[in-house]
Amino acid sequence: MQTLLLSALVGPFVLSAVLAAIGAGDRRVVGWIVGIGRAISVSAAFALVAFAMGGPPKPLGTARLFRVDALSALVACCVAVVGAIGLSFGPGAPGSVHDTPAMRRVFQAYGNVFVLAMLLAVTVNSVALMWVAIEATTIASALLVPLHRSKASVEASWKYLLIGSVGIALAFAGTVLAYFDFVTITGLRQTALGWPLLMDKAPALDPGLLRLAFVFLLVGYGTKAGLAPMHTWLPDAHSEAPAPLSAMMSGVLLAVAQYAILRWKAVVDSTPGGAAFTSQVLLAIGLFSLLIGALSLVRQRSYKRLLAYSSVEHSGLICLGFAFGPAGVFASLLHMINHALAKSSSFLLAGRILGRYGSTEIADVRGLMRTMPATGTLFAAGVMALMGLPPFGLFVSEFLLFRAGFLSGHIWETGVALVIAGIGFVGLASHLLRMLYGTPPDGVVSGERDTWALVPIVVSVAALVVLGLFLPHAVTTLLGRIVEGMPG
Amino acid sequence: MDGLFSQVAVLGSSGVLLCAIAILWRHGVSGYISAFQLQSNVLAVLTAAVAYFGHDHDLYWVAAMMIAVKGVAIPRLLTRLAHRVGQTHDSEPIVNAATSLIISGLLILLAYTAARPLQALSAAPTRAGIPLAIGLIFVSLFVIVSRKQAISQVIGFLMLENGIALLAVLATYGVPLVVELGVFLDALMGFLVMQIVLYDIHDTFNTIDVDVLKRLKH
Repeated sequence: MQTLLLSALVGPFVLSAVLAAIGAGDRRVVGWIVGIGRAISVSAAFALVAFAMGGPPKPLGTARLFRVDALSALVACCVAVVGAIGLSFGPGAPGSVHDTPAMRRVFQAYGNVFVLAMLLAVTVNSVALMWVAIEATTIASALLVPLHRSKASVEASWKYLLIGSVGIALAFAGTVLAYFDFVTITGLRQTALGWPLLMDKAPALDPGLLRLAFVFLLVGYGTKAGLAPMHTWLPDAHSEAPAPLSAMMSGVLLAVAQYAILRWKAVVDSTPGGAAFTSQVLLAIGLFSLLIGALSLVRQRSYKRLLAYSSVEHSGLICLGFAFGPAGVFASLLHMINHALAKSSSFLLAGRILGRYGSTEIADVRGLMRTMPATGTLFAAGVMALMGLPPFGLFVSEFLLFRAGFLSGHIWETGVALVIAGIGFVGLASHLLRMLYGTPPDGVVSGERDTWALVPIVVSVAALVVLGLFLPHAVTTLLGRIVEGMPG
Repeated sequence: MDGLFSQVAVLGSSGVLLCAIAILWRHGVSGYISAFQLQSNVLAVLTAAVAYFGHDHDLYWVAAMMIAVKGVAIPRLLTRLAHRVGQTHDSEPIVNAATSLIISGLLILLAYTAARPLQALSAAPTRAGIPLAIGLIFVSLFVIVSRKQAISQVIGFLMLENGIALLAVLATYGVPLVVELGVFLDALMGFLVMQIVLYDIHDTFNTIDVDVLKRLKH
């Protein structure tokens, strides 16, 4: 059953990548096949969630290549949904008239591989193969950043490629250190080290060495997660990439990296004194990212960079939540879902705004509500959600996160985080207001075009409202399952 | 036998580390490339030696892949790349050769401290080389941050990968073969993508000096 669902999950993306790579036949027929494939994939992701909720919270150790528990099902579901939406908006989607057929093929080929790598990263059983898949995400996406060739985008892709590769190499060093610990202490030589076995043996492993490994892993995966001070590539890459790629990178690539950090945190937490250590490290790096993100929001001049720095801020918040015990992990994961929806929608809308105004400067975008009423309203909703305002889901998850902070005894740290989040709020709010109102510049046409393209975004925003007004039982059960499976 | 094994491990690791340090005083890009090529080949021989002494046959495959990918293919591509972008000399690095050597010495001392918990835990005859592997990781990171040419940064990154491979060979006689395969695939693909982006940089900026990459701020 699981095998069938997994193949339904990843298969369509393989097929789409191959079809794009060989540039197969009739565009309309291919479009239908790819579209149906994405629908199958998303359904499979939801089915996997249902499957994981019914299964045991701690699946037993097997030597199987793939393994899906509640945590992997959750992240896989986010990736499949955001990936399907992002790929449907990319070059090659009807309405993107400026893109050449070559661009369309490149985007579809590498974009599908990118989503595929993320899906494999969260479903593969081995800690090392997870690393291989996450490294592959960098390779696939770095080529797409300079799709619309410009000096800025070439520069951004180089920074992304170099910093991302070095970071992820350090994560591999951490993996090797942990593997060394495992092999030396247990004497078992695994064909590939799987999570259940690692979790099983973790309490016996050398705590000092695992902590050293965790530092390497946190720096490595933290680079991909956009945590400061390793975040420097993120604002460049996310702002210069084509909007649908930014939506996928900001929406779910960060979540995949956080997934890796959370998995390793669980391993280190199983050793004596490990939980106190990981909490301290995550707290420090989370607060610093929050601070850098929030302060950079205030002085932004470009709205795409604004959204990118907001990702640094939210990544820091998620990291902070991991440090706040089980209730914090619960809040962080909820925040991850909310952020995936809000950030991917906002980036896609930013792409529409850029298409109309032809500028990424906030100062050049005036009177958005007059020129593009629907896009403007949805953009306002997305950014307000990112600010943490009710009735959107991020309000609830941030509330739960700070509550977990106070209840777990981190009074000062949570207080400081609240103040910093307030700064970020003001930064986002003032920039948003300037964009929405005022007189549109001359030469900017009024009226919406391709309104159909807004449908997935309306659905995302509606889902955010649902998550903000009442938490569906299914979501709390799933998150509860994940937290149950964590040590401590 | 273990005594000999241990000596081979330390000798091999020192050779691998020295190749990285050689970059710090050489200036020509072709010198960098041959240092990297030599390093990969020494690492491959060391891997084969560990395979022989440690009776781990998977490692022979790893050694063969190392020679094919990092000893032959990547150095050739690098040479072609350097010719195509007309890059034969690195511009003056951010720190001069003498300071670089002192810094790398300090980094290796730091590596000896960092490796203490690993050495305490391990009983493998190869453990004496572990600090040298960690030293190589640190020195490669230093090469990446102190060079101004994109191609030198790529070579620094490739050496970083060699450092991690060395660590894996010394500490655990390599990671599982399926993982090694994935790592080599990623390394090769990653290098090819870096090469494409390097050509892009050269086409758009007419140089690969990363000092020009300063458009994006704030």
